[in-house]
Amino acid sequence: MKRLVTIAAVSGAVLMAAASGAWAQEEPPDAPHQNWSFAGVFGTFDRGALQRGFQVYNEVCSNCHSMKLLHYRDLGPDGPGGGIGFSVAEVAAIAAQKQVEDGPNDQGEMFRRPGKAQDAFVSPFPNEQAARAANGGAAPPDLSVMVKSRGKGLEYLWGEGGPDYVFGILNGFENPPAGVKVTEGKYYNTYFAGHQISMPPPLADNTVKFQDNTKAALPQEAHDVVTFLTWAAEPYMEERKETGAKTILFLLAMTGVLYGAKRKVWKNLH
Amino acid sequence: MSGTPSTVRTNSRLIRWIDTRLPLFSFAQDSVLDYPEPRNLSYWWNFGSLAGIMLLIMIGTGVFLAMQYTPNTDLAFDSVERLMRDVNYGWLLRYIHMNGASFFFIIVYIHIFRGVYFGSYKEPRELLWMLGVVILLLMMATAFFGYVLPWGQMSYWGATVITNLFTAIPVVGNPIHTWLLGGFSLGNPTLNRFFSLHYLLPFIIVGVVGLHLIALRQHGSNNPLGIAVKGPQDEIPFHPYYTLKDMFGLGVFLIIFAIFIFEMPNVLGDPANYIQANPLQTPSEIVPEWYLLPFYAILRSIPDKLIGVLAMFGAIFVLFLLPWLDTSRVRSSYFRPIYKWVFWLLVIDVFALGTVGAHRPEGAYIVIGRIATFYYFFHFIILLPLIGWFERPLPLPESISAAVTKKSVAVPAATERRAVS
Amino acid sequence: MTELAHGKPVAGAALSNGHGEASRRDFLTVASGAIAAIGVACVAWPLIDSMNPSADVLAAGAPVDIDLTHVQPGQQIVVLWRSSPIFIVNRTPDLLKTLQDPKDLALLSDPDSSVMQQPAYAQNWHRSIQPQFLVLVGICTHLGCIPGFMPQANSVAPGWLGGYFCPCHGSRYDLAGRVYSGVPAPYNLPVPPYRFTTKTMIRIGENPPDGGDFGLDSIVQI
Repeated sequence: MKRLVTIAAVSGAVLMAAASGAWAQEEPPDAPHQNWSFAGVFGTFDRGALQRGFQVYNEVCSNCHSMKLLHYRDLGPDGPGGGIGFSVAEVAAIAAQKQVEDGPNDQGEMFRRPGKAQDAFVSPFPNEQAARAANGGAAPPDLSVMVKSRGKGLEYLWGEGGPDYVFGILNGFENPPAGVKVTEGKYYNTYFAGHQISMPPPLADNTVKFQDNTKAALPQEAHDVVTFLTWAAEPYMEERKETGAKTILFLLAMTGVLYGAKRKVWKNLH
Repeated sequence: MSGTPSTVRTNSRLIRWIDTRLPLFSFAQDSVLDYPEPRNLSYWWNFGSLAGIMLLIMIGTGVFLAMQYTPNTDLAFDSVERLMRDVNYGWLLRYIHMNGASFFFIIVYIHIFRGVYFGSYKEPRELLWMLGVVILLLMMATAFFGYVLPWGQMSYWGATVITNLFTAIPVVGNPIHTWLLGGFSLGNPTLNRFFSLHYLLPFIIVGVVGLHLIALRQHGSNNPLGIAVKGPQDEIPFHPYYTLKDMFGLGVFLIIFAIFIFEMPNVLGDPANYIQANPLQTPSEIVPEWYLLPFYAILRSIPDKLIGVLAMFGAIFVLFLLPWLDTSRVRSSYFRPIYKWVFWLLVIDVFALGTVGAHRPEGAYIVIGRIATFYYFFHFIILLPLIGWFERPLPLPESISAAVTKKSVAVPAATERRAVS
Repeated sequence: MTELAHGKPVAGAALSNGHGEASRRDFLTVASGAIAAIGVACVAWPLIDSMNPSADVLAAGAPVDIDLTHVQPGQQIVVLWRSSPIFIVNRTPDLLKTLQDPKDLALLSDPDSSVMQQPAYAQNWHRSIQPQFLVLVGICTHLGCIPGFMPQANSVAPGWLGGYFCPCHGSRYDLAGRVYSGVPAPYNLPVPPYRFTTKTMIRIGENPPDGGDFGLDSIVQI
């Protein structure tokens, strides 16, 4: 009987091992794993990276990509997770740089006014059709939860996570290898499924000049903007991990006490 | 005054006053405090109370989430993100509810496998078992409706695929499909009614759990030895023994639950559901949540649409028949030398089905899926009756207390010992 | 199949097993109970707090800027702040004169605004920063209806000097929002925090720089 079971278990294991690897089709390589300050049980967001990343988004990405789920007030001290370190005045200034559609006024017309802290991030296009029309048929996706929706998602226990994937895309624009023809209007990217992405390389060395004078090499820009995008997708991450540590410690203590009580009471029986 | 006097043990006049008129306290005393349980229940018996607690956690978080959610196709995705960003502790409520669904299924699956291994479904507990299968069905429906609510890509397309199953029914399939959706494809009417049903079903589950507990009370719990309780020496009161054991088990469970909620809340989910539903773009892989994968695999293994649907529902229906399919005279697998190993084949088979369900139906996955589907039904319909007839079970112990005291040296002074009849 | 025998052992019997044991048991019971209570409180708080106003609701209560040049003399405009109607009246000198008429003051319930329904900088005979402009929260302190603006003399009753008349239950207020005696409403209409940002613009929802920390939660009754 034991032999039968051993055979069954071994064949099951062989089948599952074989299934997980060899039958994958032509998929792009996994983006390499990066070191992120927010990774791990005690991870935190580097405020400098967040602010530089916001600068990259604001100056480069926001020309095509919306971030509708964020509001300008999120960047300040009232924001989720305490914001990214801007003061109330800085947030008001950032918002005021953009024009927001408001109304109708008393004449029944819509009008434009400078942004305020409680406004949502201004979108570059009024609707999806306009975004498509301006970008050759491919609408640039909203970036609010981009990092959670790509790769293996936000957490990355065993493979590329969302942050790694987005970093890979930003750094992965290359000349196509010999023999590969890239369609008109597309660009070759090592990590994108199918290798032909509609987005032209958005970043290069010194695309932005960082306000804190950090050297703006491409990997630095990509690292900072991905940190910002991760914060944007999960602004409460630091509080979540902190609360988690406290909760788990409390539960360990409580379970320990309960175990003691259980043993004490059950000892009488045996 | 007519009626039996209150039997509650208390010094409080207020409690006695209430209890004489509405016997809440004596009911609790009988059902929770004094309730006799077999003395040899192992930790596998923790999962029933754990499931009940998970149900309460899901209803609790769900009610507060429903205060913030908007069931409109234009607003649903944004309302969930607003919950995650602007509502105080919204992120925590959402992650508890999201991971709670997965853990609820983990607990219930373990609870079910425990029942299979120890023969808890056998006479006189057939109805108890069948009520449990009804609860499983209701849970699957609730989870299906709930997953649609965030209106992500997987919500939309998973629901599209599953509701399209109804078109497999001959003649009335298409009208039923349109009636279910309230339209020709998933839209606002669908989302609104799924929200209403998602809110309703858990309370129906509570009702069926009540029936489940009443049925349990009739004959008491099964135990790892599978033999009946023969007298008070085989039993101990629920409080403090199993109250403490259940609370300790709850503590261990909560630690694991907390690790997922706080450190890796998205691991059990699908990243594609963070993309807002787009009726014009199908994701490259449409996958239901992991707890539905084995059934999804069975559905896809069969090339015919209608038979595939029948097989999928048949996989659950066969569970209803389990008390009659298993012909063994002995309950617990401890004493069933052949079945004790065949049980694990079922477990491996279910895991294999789950793995197949998670991948595209290509290449080796198709073959493995068909073998695993075949084995699933073969196990229940052919193997179980045959093993029951031909197996020679090991000799059962005299009684629970005999088996238990044989293992230990010290004899508890305070417990009465009567001769086993 | 044997039914469960009912010579059942009693719950808690296992708990009393001698004095040393009992005190150790009590400690564990108390410790478990205390930890469980803390646990329940920690779980209940996020549920309850999630019902408090969320960040977007708080942000929507941000201050509102109003241009006073749009308010003609003797007229009232109504704007929304924090979902409440705010009355802004441009009082002419004639209307202002009625506010200090001793015959009229005698009919008021709280002529000196001693009950805290306004910030300190509006606790004067005109209940505002500048006498010309009146800013009030337009919610009747009786049961919450919106009082109607009746500035015309003798319009509500003979001898009416101008003020507010609430259609729901007949409460009356003067042109500084002070409530008359003998009507259902108990208190003067509230004054919201506001300040002048320029000579002709006011910002509702912010106090003047030296105006303290007044907020609508400080008043007796909205």
